Amino acid sequence: MVLADDIARVLFTEAQIQGRIRALAAQISRDYAGTAPLLVSVLKGALYFMADLSRAITLPITIDFMAITSYGDETASTGAVRLIKDLDEKITGRHVLLVEDIIDTGLTADYLLRTLRARDPTSLNICTLLDKTARRIVDTLPIQYRGFEIPDEFVVGYGLDHRQLYRNLPFIGVLKSEVVSAPR
Amino acid sequence: MADRKGQGDAVPTRPRFAHQSEAEFARLLDFYGIRWEYEPRSFPLQWDDHGRAVESFNPDFYLPEIDLYIELTTLKQNLVTKKNRKLRRLRELYPDIRVKIFYGRDYRSLLLKYGLAKPAVRSPSV
Repeated sequence: MVLADDIARVLFTEAQIQGRIRALAAQISRDYAGTAPLLVSVLKGALYFMADLSRAITLPITIDFMAITSYGDETASTGAVRLIKDLDEKITGRHVLLVEDIIDTGLTADYLLRTLRARDPTSLNICTLLDKTARRIVDTLPIQYRGFEIPDEFVVGYGLDHRQLYRNLPFIGVLKSEVVSAPR
Repeated sequence: MADRKGQGDAVPTRPRFAHQSEAEFARLLDFYGIRWEYEPRSFPLQWDDHGRAVESFNPDFYLPEIDLYIELTTLKQNLVTKKNRKLRRLRELYPDIRVKIFYGRDYRSLLLKYGLAKPAVRSPSV
């Protein structure tokens, strides 16, 4: 099985992604100059984005990770989001930048923001690689940095998955519809 | 005037949803801790000579923390056209009301995103 065979078309090449990340990192480095922001990312989708973005930022940053259950997960039987992994760092009085792979409905990001805000950071903003606005429900998110706006299509690669696969593709592509809707 | 039928997180009993898609959407909102109200308000769109409302629009959900109304529609395209016309009229008459419509394609892709889509989902007639 070759993962790339399931891709209908490439949306962003590896070079395009890296170029955009360098631009985002330069902007973040300027905006947060004189501070030591904490980059918080959510496992697992933002793994590669966090790795590349953080290495392109020229400030003394710290990084931390969270993991939560997702609606539709087989493990999400409680009817509410469950924190699988909390932050190791305290964020009170810190400048926090939430690093997301994609913001779609905004429900996950909104939940994370509420969780983080309750801990009194000095500032809290969002940096997302992909911004898919077509199905946005929570449209009041403080998205300070966005890599690409994308159409309402099922995208995978560069951390984004379908049934936990395709994360390791170096590009971002649209998954073939027959693959998306194939029975488990 | 608001016609309150159901409210997420505020009352122990669930409202009687008109369609399965609405019940699923409410579960999604509950999962992420988003407060919602079900069909809380009716917006008159046309009146007769006596000032009685003869056409109105009742968005399915209201999200008070975001101040946003959401209408789910999984109708066939010819009926969607009628709903779009009502939505345009709503925006003319109530420009300060924020309302978003989720079409069948949006809803279907939302289910796919969460791995909930079934091979043969019957389209509800909302």
